Amino acid sequence: MAPAAAASPAAQPTPPSLSLPPSQFARLQPHAYLLAHLSPPTTSNHPSIRANGRAPTQFRVTSANTGSLTHTNGSAVVRVGETAAVCGVRAELLHTADIASWSVTQPSTGSANKRRKLVDPTLKASETAGDGDDEESSDKDESHIEDLNLLVPNLSLSTGCAPGFIPGAPPSALAQSLSQQILSLLHSTRLVRADDLRIWYQPPNLGPEDLERHNESEQMDVDAEAEGEKNREIKAFWVLYIDVMIISLAGNPFDAAWASVLAALRDTKLPKAWWDIDNETVVCSDAVSDARKLSLRGMPVASSFCVFEADAAAGWRAVILPDAEEERKIAEDNRRGAQRRWILADPDGYEEGLSQERACIVVDKEQGGNGKTVVVKMEKNGGWAIDGRELRQLVDVSSQRWDHIRQILEQC
Amino acid sequence: MVGPNVTLTPLSRADGSASYQCPSTGSNILGSVNAPVELPGRRDALKPEEATVEVFVKPGTAPAGVGERYVEGIIKTMISRLILGREKGYPRRGVVITLAIVGGQSARRGDSYLTLLPALLNTSLLALLSASVPMSMTFSATSLAVTSTGDILREPTAEVASSAASVHVLAFSSKGHLLLNESQGAFDLDTWDNVRERALAICRGTASYGSDGDVTMSVDVDGQPLEGTIREAVEDQVHRDYAWSIDAV
Repeated sequence: MAPAAAASPAAQPTPPSLSLPPSQFARLQPHAYLLAHLSPPTTSNHPSIRANGRAPTQFRVTSANTGSLTHTNGSAVVRVGETAAVCGVRAELLHTADIASWSVTQPSTGSANKRRKLVDPTLKASETAGDGDDEESSDKDESHIEDLNLLVPNLSLSTGCAPGFIPGAPPSALAQSLSQQILSLLHSTRLVRADDLRIWYQPPNLGPEDLERHNESEQMDVDAEAEGEKNREIKAFWVLYIDVMIISLAGNPFDAAWASVLAALRDTKLPKAWWDIDNETVVCSDAVSDARKLSLRGMPVASSFCVFEADAAAGWRAVILPDAEEERKIAEDNRRGAQRRWILADPDGYEEGLSQERACIVVDKEQGGNGKTVVVKMEKNGGWAIDGRELRQLVDVSSQRWDHIRQILEQC
Repeated sequence: MVGPNVTLTPLSRADGSASYQCPSTGSNILGSVNAPVELPGRRDALKPEEATVEVFVKPGTAPAGVGERYVEGIIKTMISRLILGREKGYPRRGVVITLAIVGGQSARRGDSYLTLLPALLNTSLLALLSASVPMSMTFSATSLAVTSTGDILREPTAEVASSAASVHVLAFSSKGHLLLNESQGAFDLDTWDNVRERALAICRGTASYGSDGDVTMSVDVDGQPLEGTIREAVEDQVHRDYAWSIDAV
C-alpha cells in the first residue's frame, strides 16, 4: 500500500479524502517513504531508486563558476544540486618583522639553510625511499604554512541556508567542525605550496666586495654566488583567508564546500610583490600581467556517502546484534534476496535526516588522472555497515567522481 | 607493549568517571559521564523518544576551539549509535560526557586530533560503563601511523604522526564490527587493509575460535589486546565494589 501511495497516487480512483499526495506521505512517514522507493514490491516493475530519482551511487548535478567576486584574489561558486557554496580567497601580507618568534626560530636564513642541508641526509634517507620529487622539496619548508597559520579557512552557515540555521547566530558546531575539516585537509594534502606564499628579498651585491674578489681566482665567483644565495631572506608571507559561505544547504555541505575551496584556490592570483629597501616595506605590482597563479599540489576531490537501513530500529533495539562474522553471512544471503541497507552517494537533506552512518572519502589521482588513485582522507563513523569491502567500492565510486569533478573544474 | 593505565570512578560526584593513560602517546584523559540528566535546553529541542548525547572536550592549556568541536562531533556520532537511548528513563534526557585532557600534549590550531582520539574514545567508554549507561556493545579504539617506508607504528606521538605518510584511527566493537575509521594522509587501500588487520589485532587480539565456540584471546607482539584491558579494568572494579558480599560468603 505504501509504495502504491508513493508512486502513483493519481492512478487510484479512490475518494480524495483517503489518499495522501506523495509530498505529505514523505513528511509523515519519511523512513517508510524512502524504503518504499528503494525496495519496491516485486510485483511492480518499479526499479529500486531513491526518492529524489537518483540511483544509489549517483551524485547530484554539479556546476562550478570561478572569478565571480571581483574584490577577492580568487573565488568560486559551486552548486551540488540544491546545496550551494561560495568561496572567496583573500590574500594579505604578513611581514616577518611582525612574527614574534621569527628572529628566534630563523636566526638568519643563511645558517638555517646550511643546517637544513646538514640535517637532511639522515631525514631524506627514509623519505626518498618512499617516493620521489614531491617529498624532496617539502619537509621542513612546508612547516611554515602550519606553524605560521598561513591558511585561514572559515565556513559560515549563518546565512539562512536552511531552516535550522538562524541568520546572524554564532557559528554552530557543524560550521566549526566543517572549518576544522577544511583546514586539516588543506594541511594534510599540502595543497598550497609554501614557496608560493613567500616574498623573498635578495640584497644586491655591493661594490667593495666585488672589487676584492676581482684580483682573486675564479673559484671565488662561485663562492660569491653562493654567498648571494645565502643572503636571500624571507621578508613577508602571503596569508590566504579562505571564506566559505553556504548559501543554500540541502545536505552534504562538506563536498560542496571543499569543491568551492579547490576551485577558488585554482582561480587565485597573487600580485607580484617585492621588498622595497628604501621604504622598508613590501610593495605590490598593479599590473594584472605580473600576477601569478598558485601552483597547487594535485586535486583532491571529496565524496560523501550515507547508509540507509531498512530496519529503523536496528541501532537502538536492545537485542543482541549479530557479530561481524554472522553479519557477513547475512549480507551474503541478502545479496540474493531483499536488501536491508543501501549506501547512498551524495545524500540530500532528506536522506541525511534518515541515516546515522556516514562516510567521506577524498581521493586524488596522480599525474593528472593517468596514475593510480590515492586516498587522501577516509572517514567512516556512526554505524557498522561499512567495512573493508564496502570502502573499496566507495573508493572506486569516488575515483569516478574525481574524473567528473576534474572536467567541471577545468571547464570553468 | 605496555597496556594503558586505567582507573574507574576516580571522581565521586559524577555518575560515572574514568581516567585513562596511554603510555606510548603520553596522553592522560579524565572523563566523566552524567546520565540521565535533565538538560537545561528547551524541552522541544530535545528528541522526544531518544536520549540526547552531549560531548565536551577540554584541552589541557587552552580554551576549546574548532578542533575540539570537530572531535566532539566524531565522538558524539559514534557513541550515540551505541547508547540505547530509548531505555526507560532516557528519552528526553541527556547523556553528558566531559573529557578533560589532563596530561600529555594538547593539539594546537589546525593540528589533527587523531593521535588523541583513541584515548578520548576509550575514556568515554570506560566512563559510560562506570555510569552504567545501557549500551548495545562496547568497543576499543587505537591509532596507527604508516611511515613513508611502509612501516606501521602503533599509537604514534604527535611528532611521529606529523612526519608519517598517513595516520589512521580505527575502533572495533566487541563483536568485531568496524565502528570508526578516520584516516588522514596519502595511502592506498592495500596499505589500509594491513592497517585494519593490525588494528584488529591490537584491539581484539588475534582471536582463535575454540571447539566449544569460545573465543580465546592470544597474546602476541602487541601485548594484551585493548578490549581485554578494558574488560579486566571493569572486572577488577566490580570485584572491589562487591568485596563485602564476596567476603561474606
